[in-house]
Amino acid sequence: MLDVGPLSGRPGIRASGEIGVSTRLPWENALTELSRRHTDVSYVELSGLRFVDVAGVSALALTAMNLPVGRVVVERPPPQLPRVLDLFWPSLHRIEVTPR
Amino acid sequence: MSTVTTEETFAHPALFYRSEAEYTDRTVAFVREGLAAGEPVAVAVPGPRLELVREGLGPDAGDVTLLDMTEAGRNPGRIIPGVLRAFADAHAGTRVRIVGEPVWAGRSDAEYPACAQHEALINAAFADRPATILCPYDETRLAAGVLADALVTHPTVIAQGRRRASEAYDWRAVVARYNEPLVRPPGTDVLAFAAGELPQARRYAVDRAASLGLAGRRLQDAELAVSELTTNSVVHGGGSGTLAVWAEAGQVVCEVRDAGRLTDPLAGRRPAQPGQIGGRGLLLVHYVADLVRVHTGEEGTAIRFWLGI
Repeated sequence: MLDVGPLSGRPGIRASGEIGVSTRLPWENALTELSRRHTDVSYVELSGLRFVDVAGVSALALTAMNLPVGRVVVERPPPQLPRVLDLFWPSLHRIEVTPR
Repeated sequence: MSTVTTEETFAHPALFYRSEAEYTDRTVAFVREGLAAGEPVAVAVPGPRLELVREGLGPDAGDVTLLDMTEAGRNPGRIIPGVLRAFADAHAGTRVRIVGEPVWAGRSDAEYPACAQHEALINAAFADRPATILCPYDETRLAAGVLADALVTHPTVIAQGRRRASEAYDWRAVVARYNEPLVRPPGTDVLAFAAGELPQARRYAVDRAASLGLAGRRLQDAELAVSELTTNSVVHGGGSGTLAVWAEAGQVVCEVRDAGRLTDPLAGRRPAQPGQIGGRGLLLVHYVADLVRVHTGEEGTAIRFWLGI
């Protein structure tokens, strides 16, 4: 369903599978861990993610908004992620998306 | 004398017009009155009407936010969060003035009930907010029933240049009247889903919508919207529901039913604050769909959305 864990060799997390109501808790826990360890740039590697719902994108956006400094680079997310960011956080500069 | 007084906190007059010249005169005068008072002004009307206003304003058009309502307000359910509140909230603390024309000749039978409910709900969404929203109605081309509804959804009406209070004003009655049962086409396949089966429900919707001709971003939007509606069923609507997807008149229709009841008439129509944690699901559906219809009652809730192929 959802496989999520820390990245090796650089700060951040990777997630594969699907983020929805039944996998929300591990996703949010991973984001909490990301913000706890965050210093300047954190990465979220999502090339293996098939789907993320609105609440899943919201959790990521709120995590980024609440970082005291720096930014989050979201790598190769599924198309819903930039779509939802654009609808609800059109000027969120703390997130940078690198497309698939 | 001004055509619209600003004594009330919120003013919501309907403007009945009979010609392009009358339309231009009255909307332009309304806009100029706002500009003269230092109010931020937006005009959201169908494209050809927008050109009339733009020409009528001349160089002053540059001081006004102009939106084609057939795009920004294609789905009537997104006009409050995406157009009206979006503009008002961007100028918080200031009285704003908006021309909003959500009902035009050519709105379909499926769209009209959503248009009437939208007009009614403006009164709830803007209660006690400093705003004037003028809603033009084409008296020569709209059905008598549409014009009668406008008297129920607007506390004030301007007709033949005269402003009067509408004695028929009772917006809740229109919200209730157009809470119409939604009937699926006979023989439509229906998928039952419960908690833990949302990925399957989503994939069913994507496969069906793709086989009916939806593709690209519209298909991705259908997947997102079905995900939000089925999630709401599992979380708020009794834990399970049914899903159906079919095509009609060049559009794909997706419908989710569950045992829950929507008691908040403004659900999905309040703009989300950036720091807000939840509550974006139905709003997302309104933003991406061409039309959303809802029926809710003792027997449960059906939410249906349309996406053009």
